[in-house]
Amino acid sequence: MNNTNEMTVEFKSIAMNEAFARMVVAAFIASTNPTLEEVSDVKTAVSEAVTNSIIHGYEGKDGYITLLSRVCGRSVYIEIRDDGCGIPDVKQAMEPMYTTRPKEDRSGMGFSFMEAFMDKLEVESTVGIGTVVKMWKEIGVVKHHFE
Amino acid sequence: MDYQYKNGVFIYYLPKELDHYYADKLKRKTEETFKNEKINYLIFDFSNTKFMDSSGIGLMTGRFRRIHDKGGETFVVNVSPAIDKLLKLSGIYTIIKKKDTKDDIIKEMVKGGYYE
Repeated sequence: MNNTNEMTVEFKSIAMNEAFARMVVAAFIASTNPTLEEVSDVKTAVSEAVTNSIIHGYEGKDGYITLLSRVCGRSVYIEIRDDGCGIPDVKQAMEPMYTTRPKEDRSGMGFSFMEAFMDKLEVESTVGIGTVVKMWKEIGVVKHHFE
Repeated sequence: MDYQYKNGVFIYYLPKELDHYYADKLKRKTEETFKNEKINYLIFDFSNTKFMDSSGIGLMTGRFRRIHDKGGETFVVNVSPAIDKLLKLSGIYTIIKKKDTKDDIIKEMVKGGYYE
């Protein structure tokens, strides 16, 4: 028997739903018995991805964001998908401090935070089609101090 | 109370969750004050804040820039370990000073010539 648990929620691309998305994921991954710090890390990463979809993907216009999460043992997988405008140059978008909207006080650190707080991050994007952000994290893994 | 402005000192009392939604709300709410007043000291008080993402960093650096250009100084205070981790990672401590208490900030302000 496959003991993977899975959930999907779809919600409108409005800023209020950033908090909703964070809470849903935090509740869903509770079975992995995470520390408060691990929950906080995952919540931040989810918040970054959803915020990106709202601000950049849909550019403030109405759309839907799909949040999928899988849990197996203490492994967490999260996927955030939008049908927004897409990212022309993913590599550039992922550079720390890079932002297309400096005038709006955007920090340009969204992807950096996702990378820092999760174990692995993948971004797939097609202009005019949308963006998928995939993130993985092992709960309860002791981080080594020396690589 | 979200913020307070008095005597050239602007204090943000940040919300429980400082994300894009609340950061933009706070920015809009305080735009007038930043436009019209000469702010010498800007303080971000994190006493109530349990969650933050990079939108909070955007708010802080944007506000810092506005007052730094006119010689203003910026501080953060009452930072929990979770928030501290984010602030450290963002590199913001190279431009904004962290203090443990408001008294520590006042001491530094007085050194810089501030009087009530």
